[in-house]
Amino acid sequence: MSGCEWRLFSRGTLAVLLALKLGMQKGFISWLSLLLVSFYPFFASEARGASHETLFRDGANAYRAADYETAAKILRESVLRYPASGTYQNLGLTEWQRSQPGPAVLAWEQSLWLDPFNQSARNNLRFARKAAQLDAPDLSWDEVISTWLPVNWWGWIVCLSLWLAFGAISIPIFLRRPKASWHQSIAAFGLMLFLLGLPAQFGVHKRERIGFVMEKGTALRLTPTLEAQTTSQLFPGEPVRCMRSRGEFLLVRSNRSTGWVQRKQLGFLATQPTGNPIVN
Amino acid sequence: MISRSVRGKVRGAPREANLKFAQSVWRPALAGFSIIVLFLAIAVWGQAPAANPPQDPLMTLLLSQPKIEIGSAVTAIAWFDPPVVRPGQLSFYRVTFNALEESIEWPKEIAAAPKLELRPGARGQFFQPTGSGTEPRTTFSYRAKTFEPGETTIPAFTVQVYGKRISVPAARLQVDANVAQAPAQQLILDITNTNLFVGQPVSVRVLLPSAAPGLLQVFTQMQLVGQGFIMDQGAAHQKMESMMRDGSNITVFIHDTMLIPVVAGKVNVFAQAFTVGQRIPHPTLTNNPATLTPTMPQFVLIESESTELSVKPLPRDGELPGFTGAIGTFSIDQPKLATNSMRVGDPVKLSVTVHATGFSRLVPPPAPKSADWQVLAATPQGEPAQMLQTRGVATFDYTLIPMSEGTHATPLIPFCCFEPSRAAYTDLTIPSLPITVLPGRAPVDMAAMLQSETNSNEIEEELTLSGLANIPGRRAATLVPIQGQAWFPAMQIAPIAIFLGLLGWERRRRYLETHPQILVRRRARRALRRERRTLRRAAQGGNVSVFAASAVRALRIGSAPHFPAEPGALVAGDILQLFRVADDDSRQPDGTLAVVRRFFAITDASRFSLASANPAELLILQPEIERVLAQLEARL
Repeated sequence: MSGCEWRLFSRGTLAVLLALKLGMQKGFISWLSLLLVSFYPFFASEARGASHETLFRDGANAYRAADYETAAKILRESVLRYPASGTYQNLGLTEWQRSQPGPAVLAWEQSLWLDPFNQSARNNLRFARKAAQLDAPDLSWDEVISTWLPVNWWGWIVCLSLWLAFGAISIPIFLRRPKASWHQSIAAFGLMLFLLGLPAQFGVHKRERIGFVMEKGTALRLTPTLEAQTTSQLFPGEPVRCMRSRGEFLLVRSNRSTGWVQRKQLGFLATQPTGNPIVN
Repeated sequence: MISRSVRGKVRGAPREANLKFAQSVWRPALAGFSIIVLFLAIAVWGQAPAANPPQDPLMTLLLSQPKIEIGSAVTAIAWFDPPVVRPGQLSFYRVTFNALEESIEWPKEIAAAPKLELRPGARGQFFQPTGSGTEPRTTFSYRAKTFEPGETTIPAFTVQVYGKRISVPAARLQVDANVAQAPAQQLILDITNTNLFVGQPVSVRVLLPSAAPGLLQVFTQMQLVGQGFIMDQGAAHQKMESMMRDGSNITVFIHDTMLIPVVAGKVNVFAQAFTVGQRIPHPTLTNNPATLTPTMPQFVLIESESTELSVKPLPRDGELPGFTGAIGTFSIDQPKLATNSMRVGDPVKLSVTVHATGFSRLVPPPAPKSADWQVLAATPQGEPAQMLQTRGVATFDYTLIPMSEGTHATPLIPFCCFEPSRAAYTDLTIPSLPITVLPGRAPVDMAAMLQSETNSNEIEEELTLSGLANIPGRRAATLVPIQGQAWFPAMQIAPIAIFLGLLGWERRRRYLETHPQILVRRRARRALRRERRTLRRAAQGGNVSVFAASAVRALRIGSAPHFPAEPGALVAGDILQLFRVADDDSRQPDGTLAVVRRFFAITDASRFSLASANPAELLILQPEIERVLAQLEARL
């Protein structure tokens, strides 16, 4: 941990201890202590952010020095600590330079997963798919809608719009205020956002099941066993849709065929580099 | 009277007419049919000699190739070369199959003794002549090294070949410090420059010194093995030279080629080739000794040491317009224009000669966009890249069409190259040439027509990789969407709780509206407690007047909800009445009424009487008044 991180952590911890002491002296949790305690996650996240920034810079420097192995290692560590769109973009570039199209495509997809407005990552994906002759995932209409905004925005939109609509209807009743047209307008607006956000939410859920082939020569097997007959080979970066799982194998459907693939040979959008895919 | 014959003629007249009509139809039809049949017969007869079609030349070439024998039993040979080494000396572990390389499922790792350092090396396939045909020989080579004296064995293992399990026999390596055996034959990889830029070509020499003086040894199927580069096969050529080695003049077979790195970073490369083995592998372990054919020359897969190239990406800083991947040393001659006087709409050719050395590719700069000119992209003269490399000169021909009379010079055509020796870009922009443009014969709207044609044929947007992101950008704590995280559904409890709280508050409010005495008693209880605290503080401080006033106020507050009435409107009689009513069921202590009377009397006297009352004596009644107030509070 760098000096900056230590400083921030120690500052946050000191603030919490001071707040607790004050609270004990007064016999109750004072507003100050509550304020400081509520700011503790901010201090902690700031420290984490500082570490992430350092790793981001180190990774970029290693990339500029053409030391792609080191750059990939640092950037992977960075996205593990704090996933960020730009970091994934740089990780994708590094993996591409390392002749690893599968991890590169996944990193750029994850960059767009966090920030669909990142045009550089989008162009890089187009470039990689053209160069490697790969297909883009075949998205349904609800999945396409879900790509319009960052993935977490849809959750907030659905949640806040629902409570906004409910509140606009019920709070005037509780407060014994006469019904006004603006109450109904807010309720209608909230309900509209809620209904629009629901398909996108469903699309996000479905996109979590899209995986990308990480390794060269990934075999698509007839049955979920290592001794199974290989029906075809998948290319690195090729998208597949996970249908179900059995042990260490996943039943996937690619644009060409369906078969079983080893779980470790795929990378998923909602999975960080060393994590596990989300498969029910 | 008509005779019979005449009648017959008369009756037969229509029949003849019919016959004539039939003949007039059928005769030409038959004649035409006969002519067509005749022509067809002649055509068929004429084509008869060409009945045998010419054979497909590719099929002919295929059939002329010697037969590849893949039906024989698959065998594996494993050996160390050399089989006896000194500690730390390099030996090659080779396994050769008489099978196609694609059919062999070679394991990623081989179980070997821990003391034996084993690194993967070359792998390749060679078609060994067998007299009547050829037999595939696939070899897997490993670099083996150990420092421990003694015998080291790589045990037998099985490999899938053509879907069958084939046993690879064990191989032994003897390590003896006292034995001096000639090292295994290796290629020598000579790369002139190992610090390169992406796309910068570098000359590569692969040398094979003969094993003995006076012996000529060549190799074939030379490959450079590694990732991240391409080998320019067109630039390859072989030669033989003599060189002094260990005091002897030996012949060296040299293969010159060119390597072009295509990715930045560390690139490892080594050379491999097949040569006729000078040393019969001994001891050779095979799973089928009968397959060894010592009379036939044995081709052995040899390789060089690995060389690491440091490849840098082309710098983005300083890149000039018109860079088309030209890396090397370039210069351009003065461009030549076919004519310096033309009419609007007439095409004119602009030739540019480029001189280059040490380059791998030369792509003409794209045609610039200009309002006054329509520039058609340069057409290279069609020479292959190898010829350009040999000649060192290329000519680009642009076709320029002036679009307006006001044009006095040809457009600048941006062009630049990257010089690795300076690590910088050099500007090679094709200069503008003076020109006279006369009014054209073409219609006035030609410019618009050409412009629209240019737009429709616009080059597709060229995709390139972006640069590095300067900032981390939009962040998230995790890639899992928030609806998939436990805290998010849990957070929905908060608004639910708020709405339920509001609902409960509303119901309570309605209840209190129908039962207002609850609020009155609650307020009275609160005020009574407040007055009791004041009373106690006054008693502790000896403030008798405050003590008495607080006691009376407390009595009034505690009694008011029972009437109901404003506390200030109650007098001692009202409060005494309250205690008497309560006394119906339980008898009040004698002192209670007296205490109430006494407090009211003294406070009324101190307020309204001219005679001074002595409220100090009330202090001794504090326990009694406390008891009375407790009774009142209990009734609220």
